[in-house]
Amino acid sequence: MRRIYESDALHRDTDAPFSPNERDDDDVRPQAARSIPSAAITSAVLPGWVRHRSISVDVSVPATEFTAGSPVPFQVTMKNAMPFPVVIPTESAIQWTWNVDGHRDASHFPLHDPPAGDDAITFDRGERKRYRKRWDQMFRVSDDEWEQATVGEHTIGAGLNVVDSPGKGLYDEATFRVVPE
Amino acid sequence: MALLEVNDLTVKFYTGEGVVTAVDGLDYRIERGEKFGIVGESGAGKSVTALSLLRLIENPGQIERGEIIFKGQNLLEMTDEEVRRVRGNEMAMIFQDAQSALNPVYTVGDQIAEAIRHHMDLPDSEVRERTIQLLDSVGIPEPETRYSDYPHQFSGGMQQRVIIAMALSCDPDLIIADEPTTALDVTIEAKILDLLENLAEEFDTAIQLITHDLGVIAEVCDRVMVMYAGKPVEKATVEELYYDPKHPYTVGLMSAIPRVGERSHRLQTIPGTMPDLVELPSGCSFHPRCPYAEEACTRTQPPLLDPETGEPLTGSGVERGAACLEYSGELVRGLDFQVTVDDVLGDEADAIGDVDVATTEGELDD
Ligand SMILES: Nc1ncnc2c1ncn2[C@@H]1O[C@H](COP(=O)(O)OP(=O)(O)O)[C@@H](O)[C@H]1O
Ligand code: SF4
Ligand SMILES: [Mg+2]
Repeated sequence: MRRIYESDALHRDTDAPFSPNERDDDDVRPQAARSIPSAAITSAVLPGWVRHRSISVDVSVPATEFTAGSPVPFQVTMKNAMPFPVVIPTESAIQWTWNVDGHRDASHFPLHDPPAGDDAITFDRGERKRYRKRWDQMFRVSDDEWEQATVGEHTIGAGLNVVDSPGKGLYDEATFRVVPE
Repeated sequence: MALLEVNDLTVKFYTGEGVVTAVDGLDYRIERGEKFGIVGESGAGKSVTALSLLRLIENPGQIERGEIIFKGQNLLEMTDEEVRRVRGNEMAMIFQDAQSALNPVYTVGDQIAEAIRHHMDLPDSEVRERTIQLLDSVGIPEPETRYSDYPHQFSGGMQQRVIIAMALSCDPDLIIADEPTTALDVTIEAKILDLLENLAEEFDTAIQLITHDLGVIAEVCDRVMVMYAGKPVEKATVEELYYDPKHPYTVGLMSAIPRVGERSHRLQTIPGTMPDLVELPSGCSFHPRCPYAEEACTRTQPPLLDPETGEPLTGSGVERGAACLEYSGELVRGLDFQVTVDDVLGDEADAIGDVDVATTEGELDD
């Protein structure tokens, strides 16, 4: 769990009262200081299609069948094949998205309203990002109601949050069956 | 008009792993001079709530929705400059750790003096005078000498007193205290809480007290909001909450209150842990840990409901509410717990006495 007092998401000002002090132990480096400047420079000279081709996205589930009601674990892996950093601009502060049968976040309506800004996902040279998630076989159908998935075939997809991620090769899917108990 | 009115406050963090919904549709209000408690386990969203009130959340954090009406003005619509003025003058915060609050390179006297100057236009001699008075009123012995000491020369309890003095220095209408005593041992904790309470009364200051410990709430607060996974699950007066808790999570927290003078392992008695706020359980977020969970709980997220009528609460009002399907009549088996409080919650009581929680389903008892 991230801790707000130890994070960068907190306004700090040592000289103003009632703002937390700046931290002197620098174990939490500002994210931006890590690789974005060099990455941004490298990427700026790369055409979009090269950047897109550098990154691969893989979605996997550990079985082809799951009993109704049992959670479906899935793993999303993104890899930068290039020996240099790559930055891909994203539609919003959400860097990548997942969906079930085309429903983003397994919800029938958008759950988030991210601010549109200057957003991007950054990969270090050769970096692999891996996210483990679970789908509980529920679809959110309204603010406060969920429905259980039906028995049969379902598909979990995930991709970078860019226009036409499948067309750019920045998306993958995995299909499986939900079977009765 | 309430001193503070929070409506539909929703705060998210956009991270690589996904969107963390740290605070989700929070409504509450604090009247002038009132002592309002927010309680919940670690990760419930209490600190993010507090920091949002002072507009201290930054990227990748985002206050996505809501209103924070302080003395009639929406803080979320103010300029940075206006917010800074509110922060120094009308609202003060006591942070969870002294390190965030005290600057190691200035003497404590200078730090308090600086806070006073930020707030008032006084000649230096008067600022010094007032600083010494404040140090004295928070119970720092020999305040004139200690004025020139650095934070590391104070014990944890004394540092916390200095921080309280700093919070009082601007004569605020509201002090937000985020786990002000969590780092202290129990005897010092009791003293600091007494101090905070007495000073708040003397200075007529409202307090929003945040803690994971219901025992602390009992000592200081008038009204309470219980938070779980970013949402309010119960709102009540302290008496109602102790003698007649309505939400299973509150009951779980009660069985976690340590006996007087003992800060023990009992703090961890609700089986399981707070869910990852990137991936909340469907329906009632508490269902994976709730001993009374039924199928309906996985499908429907209950809003705060009036436990008597089953009607949803609207807005930031002071009505009692609990977010459990029991009160909308959607549970088949229903809740089944009993709470006995041995010691009365009297004016004299330092802390709540021994709380016994009996459940026939059994899970919440330790
Ligand atoms: N900088 C951050 N980035 C992502 N998530 C965060 C950050 N800071 C806090 N969170 C998340 O917000 C949630 C609420 O945290 P917090 O308000 O600190 O809880 P509490 O004070 O009740 O222990 C937690 O799930 C925490 O992991
Ligand atoms: S709604 Fe269900 S899971 Fe949630 S607290 Fe009530 S009984 Fe427990
Ligand atoms: Mg906290």
